Amino acid sequence: MASSRNPIAGQAAIVGIGHTVQGELPGRSVEENAVDAALLALADAGLSVDDLDGLIGCKSVQGQGNDVTVGQLLGRNLPYVQSLDYGTCNFSLHLAVMAIVSGLASTILLTYGANARTAKFDFGKPMYGADMASAAGLVHISGRAGLALQRHKALYGTTDEQFGMLAVGQRQWAQKNPNAIFRTPMTMADYLAEPYMVEPLRRSDVTMISDGGVAVVVTTAERARNLPQQPVYVSGIAEHAGVRGEHNPENLMRPWLKDSAKAIWSTTGLTPADMDAVYIQDPTAVWSLQMLEYYGFCGLGEGGPFLAEGHTLPGGDLPLNTHGGQLSESYTWGWMHMVEAVRQLRGQAGERQLADPKVALYASSHGFLKAAASVLSTEESVAA
Amino acid sequence: MSGDLSPVDDPVAGPFFAGILEGRFTAQRCNSCEALRWPPLSGCPDCHSRSTTWVEVAPTGTIWSFVVYHRAFQASLKEEIPYTVAMVELDDGPYVVGRLVPGDKPPAVGDRVVAELGEFGGVPSVRWRTA
Ligand SMILES: [Zn+2]
Repeated sequence: MASSRNPIAGQAAIVGIGHTVQGELPGRSVEENAVDAALLALADAGLSVDDLDGLIGCKSVQGQGNDVTVGQLLGRNLPYVQSLDYGTCNFSLHLAVMAIVSGLASTILLTYGANARTAKFDFGKPMYGADMASAAGLVHISGRAGLALQRHKALYGTTDEQFGMLAVGQRQWAQKNPNAIFRTPMTMADYLAEPYMVEPLRRSDVTMISDGGVAVVVTTAERARNLPQQPVYVSGIAEHAGVRGEHNPENLMRPWLKDSAKAIWSTTGLTPADMDAVYIQDPTAVWSLQMLEYYGFCGLGEGGPFLAEGHTLPGGDLPLNTHGGQLSESYTWGWMHMVEAVRQLRGQAGERQLADPKVALYASSHGFLKAAASVLSTEESVAA
Repeated sequence: MSGDLSPVDDPVAGPFFAGILEGRFTAQRCNSCEALRWPPLSGCPDCHSRSTTWVEVAPTGTIWSFVVYHRAFQASLKEEIPYTVAMVELDDGPYVVGRLVPGDKPPAVGDRVVAELGEFGGVPSVRWRTA
């Protein structure tokens, strides 16, 4: 039930998920991948394109796949179409929830497509235009993420073995996921034997690049009750910006993540201990380390020992990215994280299915600029 | 280095590079609230004044963090790997990123560094040396 503290609680639900094969899909555009996934998500929801009154197209890294270009292939003039200029699935989900709560639309398709792998997108180009950092060779996301990790190691004594639990753990989850691209077993010894790519980061600490489409359908709680799948309700949303960018002291540590964390727990009245699983969008494993700490699953600086204790591994008490995340499953900017959260909450996750999960956190970020979090649940009301 | 990686033509940052060629290490100071800022911006994010003076800053600081590139993500960097990039907290406040010239022992967070001014790879810039 909605409250003044959390007016969106339980008002919208994810009722359909769909995705293409993740990997190499040569000759297919961002939009084709997005629409292939969209048709699967609609079928999963028991709906057709004519049931939609909203479309949110998430841009790819190349700037393709927005509402206007995906909309041409879907071929319907809908009341509400929108696109973010950046982003991960979380921000698009929030946009959908807000449109539903405000009455702009009631049944919205969210799409994402990627072909950065076969299109050979240049991830080494300067991140923020030509600046002193790129002139110094600080290019690719692993440069800035590596600076943050090195600082973490120096401040808190975090070791390679502790941090490596993320890459190794994600591979363990991926081995239980037939959709995952990297499923070859990787021991800690294998991990430590990998040479540094951008020290202190190894190749396995950084996302793969893959092609693929992902889509979800979000609708009102009322309509969700009459659809075939167990609805997965959006129980709370929160965001916080760090758009002051490099003019924030220590911005590489992304300190504003703790502000989105504070907001998601205060708006929902829940705590980290209430989460049955956590999904962290992880273009690098550094993001997971930071968010586990900022969202309060362990103390600030305690991420290393916390990971070493195995909480996030299969069988642990805080399952993290049960599909393998961007390190082992696929690229897709966190979209498959949300698909996996829905699968787990529905009880459709096969070999890696958790025991009756009811509430999950999905936390993500837009690089060094924005944070977003959502709590997803099988219950319309999860007030603590 | 040139092309995509060259920042010299940026109108906001231009005075910094001109200063380097004159042997001066400078940062922006807001004429209204006197905050020092780096990287350069067209206005002050604190008080929103657009009135700015480029002032000389002490070329000394400590390593806030550093990374060592073992992979070249740009063709122009191929012959430079492995290379080290440090984020340095200046004694005067701002954080300035730059290439770190390896010293006798491996760098560490907290090491004191001094800026060396010059043209590196064709770009007027700073290079950090451990003090
Ligand atoms: Zn000012």
